Amino acid sequence: MKVDLLVVEDLWKFYGKEVILKNVNFNVEKGETKVIIGPSGAGKSTLLRCINLLVRPDRGRIVLDGDVITERRDVHNIRSQIGFVFQHFNLFNHLTAIDNVLLGLIKVKRLSREDAMRKAKEALLSVGIAEDLWRKYPAQLSGGQQQRVAIARAIAMDPKIILFDEPTSALDPELIWEVLNVMEKLSRNGMTMIVVTHELGFAIKVAHEVMFMDGGTIIEKGLPEQILLNPRSERVRRFMERMWYLYSMDRKFWRSENAK
Amino acid sequence: MLNNILYILFNYGSALEVGLRHTIIITVTSYFTGLVVGLLIAVLRVYGGRWIRGVLGILVEIIRGTPMMVQLFFVYYALPEIGLLLNPVAASIIAIAINSAVYQSEYIRASISAIPYSQFESALSIGLTKSRAVLTIILPQAIRVATPALVNEAVYLFKYSSIAYFVTAPELMYIGKFIGSRTFLYVEMYIVLAAIYVATSIVLTELAKVIERRYVIPGLLKSKA
Amino acid sequence: MDWINNVQFFTYVGVILSSIGTTLALSLASFSIATIVALLLSFIEIFGPRPLVKAVEWYVKIVRGIPLILALFMFYYGLPRVGFPLPPLYSAIMGIALVDSAYQEQLFKGAIEGVSERQVEAAYAIGLTQWEVFRHVILPQAFRIALPGWINEFSMVLKDSSIAYAIGVTEIFTQAVHVAHVIADYLRPLLIVSLIYLCICYPLSQISSRFHKGLVEMGMMGS
Ligand SMILES: Nc1ncnc2c1ncn2[C@@H]1O[C@H](COP(=O)(O)OP(=O)(O)OP(=O)(O)O)[C@@H](O)[C@H]1O
Ligand SMILES: [Mg+2]
Repeated sequence: MKVDLLVVEDLWKFYGKEVILKNVNFNVEKGETKVIIGPSGAGKSTLLRCINLLVRPDRGRIVLDGDVITERRDVHNIRSQIGFVFQHFNLFNHLTAIDNVLLGLIKVKRLSREDAMRKAKEALLSVGIAEDLWRKYPAQLSGGQQQRVAIARAIAMDPKIILFDEPTSALDPELIWEVLNVMEKLSRNGMTMIVVTHELGFAIKVAHEVMFMDGGTIIEKGLPEQILLNPRSERVRRFMERMWYLYSMDRKFWRSENAK
Repeated sequence: MLNNILYILFNYGSALEVGLRHTIIITVTSYFTGLVVGLLIAVLRVYGGRWIRGVLGILVEIIRGTPMMVQLFFVYYALPEIGLLLNPVAASIIAIAINSAVYQSEYIRASISAIPYSQFESALSIGLTKSRAVLTIILPQAIRVATPALVNEAVYLFKYSSIAYFVTAPELMYIGKFIGSRTFLYVEMYIVLAAIYVATSIVLTELAKVIERRYVIPGLLKSKA
Repeated sequence: MDWINNVQFFTYVGVILSSIGTTLALSLASFSIATIVALLLSFIEIFGPRPLVKAVEWYVKIVRGIPLILALFMFYYGLPRVGFPLPPLYSAIMGIALVDSAYQEQLFKGAIEGVSERQVEAAYAIGLTQWEVFRHVILPQAFRIALPGWINEFSMVLKDSSIAYAIGVTEIFTQAVHVAHVIADYLRPLLIVSLIYLCICYPLSQISSRFHKGLVEMGMMGS
């Protein structure tokens, strides 16, 4: 039986009079990877920030694992169950790679130093950060390494779900791959994730469902092939055409390769 | 107390005015001299030859590493020993200008180095000579980046010009002390002085904010990692 | 000039140096008091309730406008009028501490506000509470951001302590002027006292820029 891990119902957000999110509804099943695509300013980042309560929605409900988190007051407890990976990594500049991972384990999860250490090492290794990098400061790591440490920081907390906000768009092309690779592995191992990204290859290959956002709302959702190659709405089709042009990929190639 | 303050203002108002005038003359003259010299030092320290950079670097460290008091006493009391006799106001202006030039050069130099090198390269790429690139592309940006610090320096000098008191320049502090000794109303006098200094510095600071807002380049150097 | 070889020259050095203790005590005491006051005020300005924030803002505005000499006079000549006379050294400590507290307040406030928004957001995202975010992310970063400026501020106080000459505190500058009066020559005592200030300020400025460089390299501050 399919279980909904996350339910978002009728979510609205205003900044002043401006509507940023309007009537957003969707469910995420346990173990599902959802990709959100949409033009700049569509409200994708705001949606993710609402889900882990970095931003308070003005209306609507968010239910995480049966828990109506929009009604909870102890937001930090909720946030510790939700991983967040930022576009600009946002590693703590004053802490080494491993201390970045340890901070949440020790201060939030209140693990003992040894347990935290074990977990942190495990998480770092799982994203391919070898021991020689553990004691380095963020500024001494490449962008791809920083982002993988940031992913380790998120997964070490054993979150129920991880939110990725354009995790590769600040990276050089050859570093994008190493990060996407880690994310793909995570997805295959059953992590529930919502990923805002423009990496179409990743979306086709990994996503279980793709949602297209524009003007603060979801205008179309469906299987990756359908949204990326055969969208119903005119708006999505125009956007996707441009995206495919940018990625200069042959649509036919994907269609045949990925035909189930 | 209030009566005494009114008494001072009433009887010595014109003396205070003279004091304020001298304070302003000392501040304004030394500030702008300092700005021009500071600009020169900054540019030479960034783009000059090795020797110039070295000598200026040492000079800057010496001035930065010693009190303005020492510099003032040096100009007023020690220079006559080598035959250079200056009146109190001139000595104060020179000492304060030298000190301020060094600090202002540091602010400008820091902001020059904050302008990305790519700006210089793209200036060269459109065919400007090096010196024109510095003058027309780098400095205008650097000055704007430095504006808050430079304006702060002006406010700082206004109150710091009070050290001219030590060499008997007839500025506010000196006149105040003089009035105090005539009337024995020292405390009242200090309150009047404090009011003048504080009011002026608040007005200058507000003015500075207006200037900053006008000259800031939108978005430049605002981003943080 | 043959005075380097002059035995008397070293006597002057000795006389002036004999007051270094006063200079250091004066600077360290006023600087520490200013730091404590400034820390409190900056926390209030950032985290306090609105009326207190306004009060701190005005404190800084007013105190920043007062020339140091005037502050010293106010403590030295003003306090006796309200029945609380202070010896010169203590008046100087209070005066310098008062003026410097306003500068340090701005330094600390700027440092706390200088911690990047993104760092704070990431800290909240892993589930830290407000206090924990402050304790584990904002404070350690703000400390590093403030450190170079704080060290420079001490140099400023050290140099400004020479103004205590105005109320007759015998620190090194006053002592140098005394020597100058006695030997009827300002050049040598002033050079000696300059050298003493330099010996303290120059290393401090080097240390400060080292820390600053480190900050830039760690991405905690634009260059
Ligand atoms: N704190 C804020 N205050 C006011 N407006 C905001 C704020 N944050 C976001 N917005 C506005 O909300 C809208 C949606 O922003 P959001 O960052 O969610 O878009 P996005 O889809 O993530 O775009 P991008 O692809 O550029 O990241 C934008 O118009 C933005 O200007
Ligand atoms: Mg976004």
